[in-house]
Amino acid sequence: MSRLRELWSRMRTVFGRHDADLDEELRAHVEMAAEEHRARGMSEAEARTAALRSFGGVTQVREQYRLREGLPWIENLRRDVGYALRQMRKSPGFAATVIVTLALGIGATTAIFTVVYSTLVRSLPYPDGDRIVAIHDTRIEGRSTGGLMTGPRFFDIQARNRSFESVAFLYFDESTLVNGTKLPVAVKGAGANAGFWDVFGTAPMLGRTFNAADDTPRAPETAVLSYPAWQKLFNGDRGVIGRQVTLDQRAVTVVGVMPQDFSAPGGVDLWHAAQFVPGNWGSYRGDGLRFINVFGRLRNGVTMAQAQGDLNRIGEQLGREYPQSDGAWRFTAETLREDRYGNLRPALAALLTASGLLLLIACINVANLLLSRATVRQREVALRRALGASAMRVAAQYLTESAALSLMGGCAGIASAYALTRGVALSLPGALGRSGAVHMDWIVAGVALLVSLATGIGFGLVPALESCRAGLQTTLRQSDGRVSGAGGNGLRSLLVGIQAGLSLVLLVGAALLAESLWNLVKQPLGFEPGHVLTFSLNLPWDTKPEQARNFYDDVEQRIEALPGVTAAGQINAPPTVDWHLRSSFDADWLPRIAGQPAINAENRTIAGNYLRAMGTALLAGRAFTAEDQMSKLPPVLVNEALVGEFMPKGNPVGHHLLIDGEAHEIVGVMGNVRGTSGSIAAEAGPEVYWPAHANGGTHFYFLVRTRVPPEQMVDAIRQQVYEADPRQSMGDIATMDQRIDDAVAEPRLNMAVVASFAGIALLLACVGIYGVVAFLVAQRTQEIGLRMALGARRSEIALLFVWRAVLPALVGLAAGTGVALGLAQLLRSQLYGVKANDPLVYVASIAALLIPLVIATLRPALLAAWVNPAEALRAE
Amino acid sequence: MGAEKPEVFHAAARAGGAEGARMAPAAQAAAGAPMLQGTLDLMVLKTLETMGPQHGYGIARRIEQTSENALSLNQGTIYPALLRLRQRGWIRAEWGTSDNGRRARFYSLTRTGKAQIEKETESWERVAATMARFLAAPAGGEP
Repeated sequence: MSRLRELWSRMRTVFGRHDADLDEELRAHVEMAAEEHRARGMSEAEARTAALRSFGGVTQVREQYRLREGLPWIENLRRDVGYALRQMRKSPGFAATVIVTLALGIGATTAIFTVVYSTLVRSLPYPDGDRIVAIHDTRIEGRSTGGLMTGPRFFDIQARNRSFESVAFLYFDESTLVNGTKLPVAVKGAGANAGFWDVFGTAPMLGRTFNAADDTPRAPETAVLSYPAWQKLFNGDRGVIGRQVTLDQRAVTVVGVMPQDFSAPGGVDLWHAAQFVPGNWGSYRGDGLRFINVFGRLRNGVTMAQAQGDLNRIGEQLGREYPQSDGAWRFTAETLREDRYGNLRPALAALLTASGLLLLIACINVANLLLSRATVRQREVALRRALGASAMRVAAQYLTESAALSLMGGCAGIASAYALTRGVALSLPGALGRSGAVHMDWIVAGVALLVSLATGIGFGLVPALESCRAGLQTTLRQSDGRVSGAGGNGLRSLLVGIQAGLSLVLLVGAALLAESLWNLVKQPLGFEPGHVLTFSLNLPWDTKPEQARNFYDDVEQRIEALPGVTAAGQINAPPTVDWHLRSSFDADWLPRIAGQPAINAENRTIAGNYLRAMGTALLAGRAFTAEDQMSKLPPVLVNEALVGEFMPKGNPVGHHLLIDGEAHEIVGVMGNVRGTSGSIAAEAGPEVYWPAHANGGTHFYFLVRTRVPPEQMVDAIRQQVYEADPRQSMGDIATMDQRIDDAVAEPRLNMAVVASFAGIALLLACVGIYGVVAFLVAQRTQEIGLRMALGARRSEIALLFVWRAVLPALVGLAAGTGVALGLAQLLRSQLYGVKANDPLVYVASIAALLIPLVIATLRPALLAAWVNPAEALRAE
Repeated sequence: MGAEKPEVFHAAARAGGAEGARMAPAAQAAAGAPMLQGTLDLMVLKTLETMGPQHGYGIARRIEQTSENALSLNQGTIYPALLRLRQRGWIRAEWGTSDNGRRARFYSLTRTGKAQIEKETESWERVAATMARFLAAPAGGEP
């Protein structure tokens, strides 16, 4: 107890000394003693001397008192920090180099770690978010439809499961919203059941969410706004609750507004009650109904494995009960985190590794700098050792200095990573870009600070140990002009080698990703994305087919009549849009097995001059005619991939696809198109195209090929849409080029990040090797003079130094090639059209690294060659 | 000289030169025992118990007088000891005015300090008794 009190008392005095108090006390003591002596008859001077003599050594007492008063090691630390700061002020260039280098390393690592932590570690921003799971419907064999489920299967899960507190479904819905007397706006909506709010559990910011009563058929319709939509469409008006708006020409009441960071899913403007019931679809359970995403909230204590077992049980039951429609499907559950970010895991692992390598390179550079400095200060240290400083004290001082530098670098790095992640968080691609998804918190900053401190101490140890090792006598005896290399040169070469090797790993990674991106962007897409404007135009879903056809025909003719337009076409979901609708067909040229249709293909419906507007080739047969768009038994187009897979040696034109007891004639074959279901990296699969208006559709995209830059046509087209029907509005306006750009945003970002890391690494490696050569030269000026005096040529001298630095770099590059070959496997899932061990990439990377490295050695080496031998030898 | 000025001690004796050589025998004669570790603490505490609040000089003088100059005490060493006792919470310090109107720091016992005296006294007595028995034991030891 009293020990603790002592420690506390000592700690306090570290921050506020009482020297003045002690001095006054001691003075009082001496004077009292002197007074007593005077009283006994001594003279003034005698009394004072006697008093001081009986007191003992004032200085010793003060010293003891001071030692006793504070904590010696804290005292030392304080002194060392002060010393370190003075050193920094004395050589600001050195300090700045170290701090900037570390800031780059720590900043890069922290920024990437922020993303990793935000996505893969931190709890998702929903109450008990770890209990939310995504339930996918998966085809047991063959391609699935992006996990989408049919309504009947959802209601079966809801009725039969034992694992979920509640289950939710959600589907995307493009609608047109009219607020009062304002012009109609296209909005992105999500239809959901009332259970959706129980699963996600986030409370609304204003008003309420819709409940079970709102979610029954024919109940008054309700909508909950997202924060951005509330800001954009209603100017953040708090009085919006209870207001009636028109959504797809029906009256809907706004009942709530969600908080800013709520995104489930991201990017929707509003949620409305779907008002589905199990009987909605009669006895139909087919693939035409696969359009809902399903989520569940696990009951307390239920594990993922238990939930999956429960879903398997239900899936098997349904397979037995409805073998035709449900037999080929099963349910798969994954955590919401996995569903949302799981696909980013490989890329994030690669980026984190890359940032770690960069940090290591930065640290090696710093260690090298510290080492050079330690050599310069060797004599100072030796002198201090000779005067009685212990090896521990000297090492502690070095460590303090490097720890102070690394903390400064770390803080600068963390601050810039914070600014960076804050600045770009919302423009990150995909799920990362959602509001609140990626942000740095105190845990991340704390971890980063610890890492920077650890690196400072770890790499500060190198010079500290060097200083301990250096023999006192040898150092002191050494004259200024050294003829042989001093200690630490071997270490320095080793560091240069490691640095070159690690830089190569980063460079190879960047080169592989860059080539992948190039392949991805430059591959033939099967259409011409330049000069194409795309936008959506959605009618209420219950519009009569004839009415819808007339409206879309009218708009198409109006657009085609505009000057500057070459062709216009319609499709229900254009390439690069993540949309799925698969069906199974029999074919009249293939054997038919009941319950096992031969062909499973993605479906799209098109109208107008779709093929011309897209620039997709018609390989055989003909395109759809106006009559096809009204046919009771519409013909179809198929793509090259379907023909290649199911009729490799023949012409399918004139053959028939069979579905639901009807035979649809194949009238043409079109070229493969990339990105039909979203990803342009995926190979095209079998696809069937239908005439859009034969069955009545209400959600279409227009594709408009223009002669002028497509953005210039937007206003003219908007005018035409307004004239065709003033209640409608264009939505999701983008050029095809922009859509392609967005589709490769993630690989491009990965490439850009790794490439910038590689660039920084290269720069650091050059600075490092330059520093080493310059140091060697400075250290051996006398030797150079001597060699020259003995007849060495200047070119020999220069080559000597280049070689001294390049040799370890070459060894490092060889080792780095091995490491890169291993680490490139991490990138495999990110690569496209290039092998992880592509020799060309490696050779090019080595060349790209070696050339600047050699150049960096030239300047100091040439300086060495121009040393004046007479001066060098005379220099002391 | 040594007889009148018993407070002469090592540091002064080591001060060197003729004076040091001259003083050395006197110092040895007068100030015998060096301080045992921990004894000074108890002496200070005990002094404060008997005299009440006291300044450093007063404590030092009291210890010299009580021990009848049998100890070689540097008066200055009292201050680190006072600090140590203060840090452990056994005494407290306050600035005040001495009898002859001089500003001085006065030390007084705390409650834990009083308890500490009991504890230390007891342990000292035990040690002293043991030592006494040990020294009184007849040569040749146990039969």
